[in-house]
Amino acid sequence: MKKNYSGLLILILFVFTSACNKDLSRITATVIDKMMVNKTWYLDYSITGNNTQSFLGQSTYSITYFKDGTTKDSDGLTGTYKIIENNGNYQIQVVANSLKGNALNYTHTIESVGELNMIQSFILTGQASKTSLYFTSK
Amino acid sequence: MIKFIIQRVLYSFIVICILSNTVSAQKLSVKEKDNSFLVHPVKDRIKKIKKSLAKTFKDFTDNDVFLLGSLNLSSQNINDEGITAPVNYLYNSVNNNTFKPGFTGGFRIDGIYKEKHRYTFSFAMNRISSGAHYKNKYTQPPFLEEYTHFKADNIFTTLSLAARYKKLLPINAMNQYKFYAVVGPSLDYKISTTSNDNLLDGAANRLIVNADIGSEFDNNGYYVLFAHYKWGNNLFRSMVPIQLNRFEIGISFKVKDIF
Repeated sequence: MKKNYSGLLILILFVFTSACNKDLSRITATVIDKMMVNKTWYLDYSITGNNTQSFLGQSTYSITYFKDGTTKDSDGLTGTYKIIENNGNYQIQVVANSLKGNALNYTHTIESVGELNMIQSFILTGQASKTSLYFTSK
Repeated sequence: MIKFIIQRVLYSFIVICILSNTVSAQKLSVKEKDNSFLVHPVKDRIKKIKKSLAKTFKDFTDNDVFLLGSLNLSSQNINDEGITAPVNYLYNSVNNNTFKPGFTGGFRIDGIYKEKHRYTFSFAMNRISSGAHYKNKYTQPPFLEEYTHFKADNIFTTLSLAARYKKLLPINAMNQYKFYAVVGPSLDYKISTTSNDNLLDGAANRLIVNADIGSEFDNNGYYVLFAHYKWGNNLFRSMVPIQLNRFEIGISFKVKDIF
């Protein structure tokens, strides 16, 4: 009889604790997406190695991510985006076309994203240092 | 006229039915007599459990059931050092180092163990609205803002169980008004939906274990006024350890005095 009670106790504990075990990467991607979408992000700084470029107070590059998974930037690129998890890093994959119809695909690592600020980074081929892009949504 | 006759017939039928049932309840049919000699596993089991419980809890006497209601003031301390998800929240918009009000409703059983030790068992539902103090601030230069990496849920509902020991304090006329010091553990289980922000890196933890301490004033058994402090922590290890501080100020009434 004691065995039955122990089994019941284990089952209750399992139900209570397993309620939290959701797909963690999917949850993180959902939160990142919620922070990014339906906002226009303006580039404030670009940092490569020790070289910091500021675009504050200037006409700067901007990009908008829409809820339906499409994106549009100030250079006239339009296309789709996807947030993926790659070895613990979260990346944004953009598949876009220029106004002339040339394809341009790129993947940036999302370093940090919030309601107001976002940092993306990438390493260009042949470049030693990574480039970090600091965006602000206004 | 027809309606009146139908009503009368119906009433007569109901009265006859009741009377016949009463009569038949007094006499056991052959089937019922046979049934009484048969084995009833469920009934027997319940009887056995009742007997066993009575035997186990024979030392728990003078039990009174009370309904309780209280006002809570809560604040949580959050340590988000373990978060690796690339998410930031503006520190000043999520941090508010204050106590916020919530409420509790439930019932409790007060009694005496071995005619010497007073105790309280309580079961309650809590609506907690909590202030949040984030221990860590992060910066991302050249941005000037300060951030946290986690946003804890500030409003949630829990079910709680508590077992407390009551010590009678020698204050005032103890035959009429009684003052008690209470101490004991309690357990809260979050039943409200957890937000995705709170689930980052598996940080959410539904079980909170508390250490309770407080005092109670018993007005001749008519009602009990109580003030408790609850010091709560995650029961299981979490990426974001949260410490929940709560003050409870409330009143409880004997159920048999109300109903």
